[in-house]
Amino acid sequence: MEIDLISYASKIRGWNAAFKVSFAVLLMILCIGLNNPYVSAAVIIGMAYLIVVKGGLSVREYLLVLAIPISFILLATITIAVDFAWKPIGQYNLHLGFFYIFTSLEKLEEAIFMILKVFAAVSALQMMTLSTPSSEIISVMRKAHIPKLIIELMNMIYRYIFIILDVYSKIKNSADSRQGFCDFKTSLHTFGGIASNMLVISVKKANGYYDAMEARCYDGEMIFLEEDKKITMIQFISAAMFISVLFLIWGFTK
Amino acid sequence: MNLREKKIVSLFAVFAGLFGITPTAYAMHIMEGYLPPKYCIAWGVICLPFLAAGYFAIKKQAAQNRKSMTLLAMAGAFVFVLSSLKIPSVTGSCSHMTGTGLAAILFGPFAVSILGIIVLIFQATLLAHGGLTTLGANTFSMAIAGPILSYGIYILCKKLKVNNNAGIFLAASIGDLFTYCITSFELALAYPSANGGVVVSALKFLGVFAPTQVPLAIIEGILTVIIVIGLETYAKSELIGIGYMDGGVK
Repeated sequence: MEIDLISYASKIRGWNAAFKVSFAVLLMILCIGLNNPYVSAAVIIGMAYLIVVKGGLSVREYLLVLAIPISFILLATITIAVDFAWKPIGQYNLHLGFFYIFTSLEKLEEAIFMILKVFAAVSALQMMTLSTPSSEIISVMRKAHIPKLIIELMNMIYRYIFIILDVYSKIKNSADSRQGFCDFKTSLHTFGGIASNMLVISVKKANGYYDAMEARCYDGEMIFLEEDKKITMIQFISAAMFISVLFLIWGFTK
Repeated sequence: MNLREKKIVSLFAVFAGLFGITPTAYAMHIMEGYLPPKYCIAWGVICLPFLAAGYFAIKKQAAQNRKSMTLLAMAGAFVFVLSSLKIPSVTGSCSHMTGTGLAAILFGPFAVSILGIIVLIFQATLLAHGGLTTLGANTFSMAIAGPILSYGIYILCKKLKVNNNAGIFLAASIGDLFTYCITSFELALAYPSANGGVVVSALKFLGVFAPTQVPLAIIEGILTVIIVIGLETYAKSELIGIGYMDGGVK
């Protein structure tokens, strides 16, 4: 859970969570709504500034996080750029036995703009996740009137994830030290065994946690102490300015 | 090299490139920003009735027995962790289970829709896979369509008295393949091919993702069977507690 760790260490964690979440969501909507490469480039630069300069994350780590979706982006944009046909059409084509794959400058341009757009939206999402711990994001969702039952489940799932991961790493180590992953077939068996044991242990733990929560008067709602973080005027004005600059860029390059 | 040889070499280069980036961890999560706004909204709206059904099912369960909330939460966390683990693979690339087939068999398709959307939100915020604007499309393919088909196949196999393990294998792997087909269809609908429309585009997406997704579906099926065998051996009472085996399996 690298992202979780980074978000707790971020220097802009002290900013108001609702502000960061709504700013990020607004930017994502603008990216896909305006669909303009210059706007995307501006968002990428702006978010990199917020995360690296303001948030204090090293460039290398930021690039590593940004690179996570790279395989999807490559595969999905190649698919947009390249097309099939029975006849040799398009600017560039390659004959593959029965059919041709072809592409054109226009399509390549579309693919590159696509990559820019996806990276812009992803970096807006990263701005939010790399500076806001999940518990704060959940509390923003609570304020946005997502049903209580769902918020409750999210709060519990978020905490249980770390418990199960801990269980997993212990079982995996002991299986590994007994040659549990020596070849493919054994690995499959070991993995299946680990997963079923993980479920057994998590059900046991869930029973234990239920008893513990019941003993502390749990009645269907967990209430957490939340820091009160105020939005400063400067943050609000900068965000509004950034968004108006995006609209200006869009207006001029439409 | 003559022209023909050059073509062959370039063809192999393309395929090598595709296989080279096979470590597609979560290739089937549509990334943030990939879908145009109207498709984001449309898929979100399509999900709503299923999510509502899941919500009321969970609410009823929670009202009857508060304990089921902690169990459901653990189930959600379990699916998240399962989907974040590297599974053994032949090529050494790193791939992941979806875990949705298993979850549908164990917890029923309605609860999975709610657990699924929560897991997808956490995958977006904790693992940077998927996104918030594409949440609707991803929820439909991974938390609704796949699990419902898995569950349907599982029940059908049980009715037809097919061997239990074979039924589970079919449910998990076909559910996985169905998820992959639905995702390709979602992508194709948003980006139809200029020469042939949605169908050609869907074929393109299916083809591009096939090298990773087809072996993955088979491995997912095998693993799900191994997991369920393990559970039935060691955890009968827990399985009854979470509702599996209600319908008189075995």
